[in-house]
Amino acid sequence: MQSDHNQIPKRRKDQPLEGVRVVDFTWVRAGPWAARWLATLGAEVIKVEWPENMDMLRQNRFTVPPGVEPGPNSTGQFADTNAGKLGLSVNVRHPKGLEAVKRLISVSDVVIENFSSRIMGRWGLGYEELKKLRPDIVYVSMAGFGQTGRQHYFGTMGPAAQALSGLTHQSGLPGKPPAGWGWSYLDDTGGMYGAMCALTALRHRNHTGQGQHVDLSQMITGITLTGTAFLDKTVNGRESRREGYPPGNRTVWPGAPVINNYRGPIAAPHNAFRTLGGGYNDWCVIACLADEEWTNLVELMGKPDWAKKGKFTSLDGRLENQNEMDQGIEQWTSTLEKYDLAEKCQVAGVRAMPVQSSEDRVENDPQLRHRGMFTKVKHPMLGDWKFQGAPFRLDGNKVAVKGPPPMIGQHTTKIMGDLLGVSSEELVQGYEDGVYWPETTPKFPYVQEAIDAEAKR
Amino acid sequence: MTQSGPGNDMVGPLTGLRVLELTGEHAQFCGKLMADLGADVIKIEPPGGQETRNVGPFLNDEEHPERSLYFWHYNTSKRGVTLDITKPEGKEVFRKLSVTAGLILESFPAGYMPGLGLGYEDLSADNSGLIMCSVTPFGQDGPWRDYKTSDLLHLAAGGQMASSGYDVEDVPDAPPIAPGGGNAWHIASHYSYIAIMGALYHRDFTGEGQYIDVSAHEACSLTTEGAIAIYLSTGEVVRRHTGRHASADMSPGIQHATNDGGFINTTRSGSNLTPARVKILATWMDEHGLAQDLLDEKYQNPAVVEESGQHFADVLKNFFANMPLVEAYEGGQELNFPWGAIRTMGEIVGDPHLEDREFFVPVEHPELGREFTYPGPAAIYNSSPWRISRRAPLIGEHNEEILGGELGLSKSGLEALKKSGAI
Repeated sequence: MQSDHNQIPKRRKDQPLEGVRVVDFTWVRAGPWAARWLATLGAEVIKVEWPENMDMLRQNRFTVPPGVEPGPNSTGQFADTNAGKLGLSVNVRHPKGLEAVKRLISVSDVVIENFSSRIMGRWGLGYEELKKLRPDIVYVSMAGFGQTGRQHYFGTMGPAAQALSGLTHQSGLPGKPPAGWGWSYLDDTGGMYGAMCALTALRHRNHTGQGQHVDLSQMITGITLTGTAFLDKTVNGRESRREGYPPGNRTVWPGAPVINNYRGPIAAPHNAFRTLGGGYNDWCVIACLADEEWTNLVELMGKPDWAKKGKFTSLDGRLENQNEMDQGIEQWTSTLEKYDLAEKCQVAGVRAMPVQSSEDRVENDPQLRHRGMFTKVKHPMLGDWKFQGAPFRLDGNKVAVKGPPPMIGQHTTKIMGDLLGVSSEELVQGYEDGVYWPETTPKFPYVQEAIDAEAKR
Repeated sequence: MTQSGPGNDMVGPLTGLRVLELTGEHAQFCGKLMADLGADVIKIEPPGGQETRNVGPFLNDEEHPERSLYFWHYNTSKRGVTLDITKPEGKEVFRKLSVTAGLILESFPAGYMPGLGLGYEDLSADNSGLIMCSVTPFGQDGPWRDYKTSDLLHLAAGGQMASSGYDVEDVPDAPPIAPGGGNAWHIASHYSYIAIMGALYHRDFTGEGQYIDVSAHEACSLTTEGAIAIYLSTGEVVRRHTGRHASADMSPGIQHATNDGGFINTTRSGSNLTPARVKILATWMDEHGLAQDLLDEKYQNPAVVEESGQHFADVLKNFFANMPLVEAYEGGQELNFPWGAIRTMGEIVGDPHLEDREFFVPVEHPELGREFTYPGPAAIYNSSPWRISRRAPLIGEHNEEILGGELGLSKSGLEALKKSGAI
């Protein structure tokens, strides 16, 4: 099975992707999130940017903490999405910039980009071009509709991709507009797929010596997450525009036909309930996946008269009488604080969890605290900043956020000089010619300092 | 035929990797991804079949363990054996099988496999390159380790629900909403896949295997985009809005009804309008007599555009109310507005763009004498295809092929296992 490992020289590594270099042309969320995970696994990720066409997340004024000077290096959302990368500013539309980028790619393993389809090709950075520079390059494209197909030029952001993929329609209450997803789920998940594609193609390269182009579509990624509903359509001919669908937090909406609605097993109770305090996120979910769990819940609630009725004994009966049952449960849940409630339920053999806000996850979640989900890393503008860690542990490798995100163009002279051997003279000239920084954009002090240091060499 | 589609003679990128999968809803999607990408994934089910076979919907709504569309979707391209790993003779077979594997993917409760003498230490003793990935609700330690969960519970604890729901004007008193489709397990599977690929890369260069501990809760907690960053930056907790990003402030609506009962999502109000793009949009709207005042010169001033978000949302709402969904969505896309129609499966199946990308994959079910259309790959790999190679295995379908043929158990040995109930 693993005989082909012998062909590769063995060496020690701390992080799984140590020694992998990634040229990251991505921006906004999905692409940068993909490359962020490659960096977290140990790859050297070089984010290629140009200040005149800045990453939208660098401009997200909603995540600049009070008291921090606003600017492209000050947004919290950009920080976590780009943690552990290096920053290169270079103008790929300038012949010298294009040449610099090509030299970088010739000593790299992965190129990843999430522009609209075929933009990279227009810049002379398409797969066929890059293959000439580095025959085994792994090249991942993450366009909304992909690089091929009649609508390849259609654009998406997370919410539009979710809408088109069928994900949005799966979320909400029957008879109401779709509730959809309250964030760009397909930017998070599209990012996962970008990373998955790069890693999968790297594995293929390690075993065959071949690179390849991976043409990922964010919108289609979403469709693969609706597979059961998809088969219900193609196999059974059942449309998802139907009575009682989508069923909110339940598995079957009260009064609607008992059809599986693609969340897993049919169960009741299966809902969100208000908890003590009545605040915006004072909710708890309870799901009884077996009759025994329901019996445990009745016991825990103190066997109220309504719950002892025979009509609730079986799943069919509970499905038929969901409204009455859920009201009864909520009378009880609203007397308990949500963490207390969840713990009581779990101890009694009932599945329950608090609805956790962002604040809850950062401040109140004992499990995330125990597992060290958030790590403080020093950030040049934000100070000690909490970064999200990996949801997995590898017992033979370190997996961790390596450092803060790059300030725009922060590592340009280091990458061009130390890695690619560009002379100090050429570098200084490049800054004057608008190759490494736009002539009309004021330079940040750290950019000027880097230029001055080169000039002194 | 797709222009860049891989040829039929090519093999998937994970060819040569053997995976033993002992998991149901938690991580079978991770196993499916690997199987569709060429890995030899052997699904090990308890005799009689795994309980996920009892999850509907079913073919023609007839409840039967070989007719679960849920099981079908999540187990394509895998082979299947039945094996009771709690019985001594079943354990023995499992140990033998594990020596042939590069990866074991399991989702038993924390401590269960080691309790059977089948923990990573036990299994890697004869297979130092072995990677073992345990996918559990909360990971292998911590105060919530032994809590029981479900998709709904993870979406509550992970923060998905706190971000999803309705504006008060749409549904007063709406609860937080857990989006459907079983996505907590998808999220756990995606991170599991990434962790496994990291470990495989490490093994490619060092020959070393390792143990991976994945927490579904942590994976979900990572998957709410800006909610955590907004809290860390401003101390504010986001509020739920219909069909758009939860945010700490109120934001203009982006989901609008069309005149044929559909809904369109404009991503953000006006899609990052600039004066030039206001003009493009307004010109189109004007052809339908619905531009209102958007052709006014004042919208050629960026500052005015910046502060007119709500007004643009109102004009757009009225525009869409007078248009059919597809015309609105495709018309916008042709003008470079990244809008999306909210589609159902009926509108997705048969989509010509997806046809162009060979997304609709015919999969044969020989036992039924029928062929069904499955959702295909999200990405086209140009030199190693992502491709469904077969339908999900029937219960114990490959017992003889794998345990007999490949592992070398004799006919009488297999017979004895059958008799004792171990397979």
